[in-house]
Amino acid sequence: MTEETQEAPRQHYTDKEKDDVFNNEFLPHIHSMYNFGYRLTLDRDDAKDLVQDTYLKAYRFIESFQKGTNAKAWLFRILKNSFINDYRKKSKEPNKVDYQEVEAFYNSDEVDRQITPDLRVESLKDMIGDEISNALNALDVDFRTVIILCDLEGFKYEEMAKILDIPIGTVRSRLHRARQLLKEKLSDYAKSMGYKNADV
Amino acid sequence: MSQSSNPNPFTGPSGKKPTCMEMLQFILDQEATSEQKEYFKTHMDGCMPCFKSYELDMSIRQLLKSKCCGGDAPADLIEQIRGQIAQKLS
Repeated sequence: MTEETQEAPRQHYTDKEKDDVFNNEFLPHIHSMYNFGYRLTLDRDDAKDLVQDTYLKAYRFIESFQKGTNAKAWLFRILKNSFINDYRKKSKEPNKVDYQEVEAFYNSDEVDRQITPDLRVESLKDMIGDEISNALNALDVDFRTVIILCDLEGFKYEEMAKILDIPIGTVRSRLHRARQLLKEKLSDYAKSMGYKNADV
Repeated sequence: MSQSSNPNPFTGPSGKKPTCMEMLQFILDQEATSEQKEYFKTHMDGCMPCFKSYELDMSIRQLLKSKCCGGDAPADLIEQIRGQIAQKLS
């Protein structure tokens, strides 16, 4: 049994009710889901497959979903789990990172001394191309994920904790580090665009 | 502007005074109450580092929203999903 089936007491829906839930509560999130899938896999075809898998699972487990509750968080959680269980295992991942190691490093005190991004609001105004997208995509997937969930999708700590299966404290610290890292990447772009050592 | 007379709504049950960074993170993570938002707005009037960090982080968020929302899912995706479900049910 998967995690998706364990949370709520099992519902009993008629076929018509299932279709209503699917059409009115699940499908409206398809664009956000596709974007999430794309930002995780960095490939449009893989994103499409991931979203398709997610919706098929959602339909299969529809009776574990309680009508009128948080469909978006439920779907994001299934997509994230599919990504970890199916996609990550299948993909080659030539430079696989030990995420716990990365997180332990970025949660250490050392990192605050190392990361002091020189970045000004003015320099962001010149980033009219793919700089921000490239900077986001360059983050390790766990850091990238919290930025997407919080800043693009507006999820709250509690929802993110459920989607990611991590404690709220970890959500907070991961978000903090992710923002620092994103600024560092943007700062590199800003410097390469001619902004030298901005005096923040 | 001094806020010494107002209790800080960011102060936790332990009574420990929150740092600027802690207050800013609550605001950025959209977890602040309206009372905390008001307090922070006034706090920024007298705290240039907080003001600058807030401006920068909000500009980054705006840029993310305008550049990283990726557009719509492919037009045929919904039909493909429906087709697969129908196939599984038959």
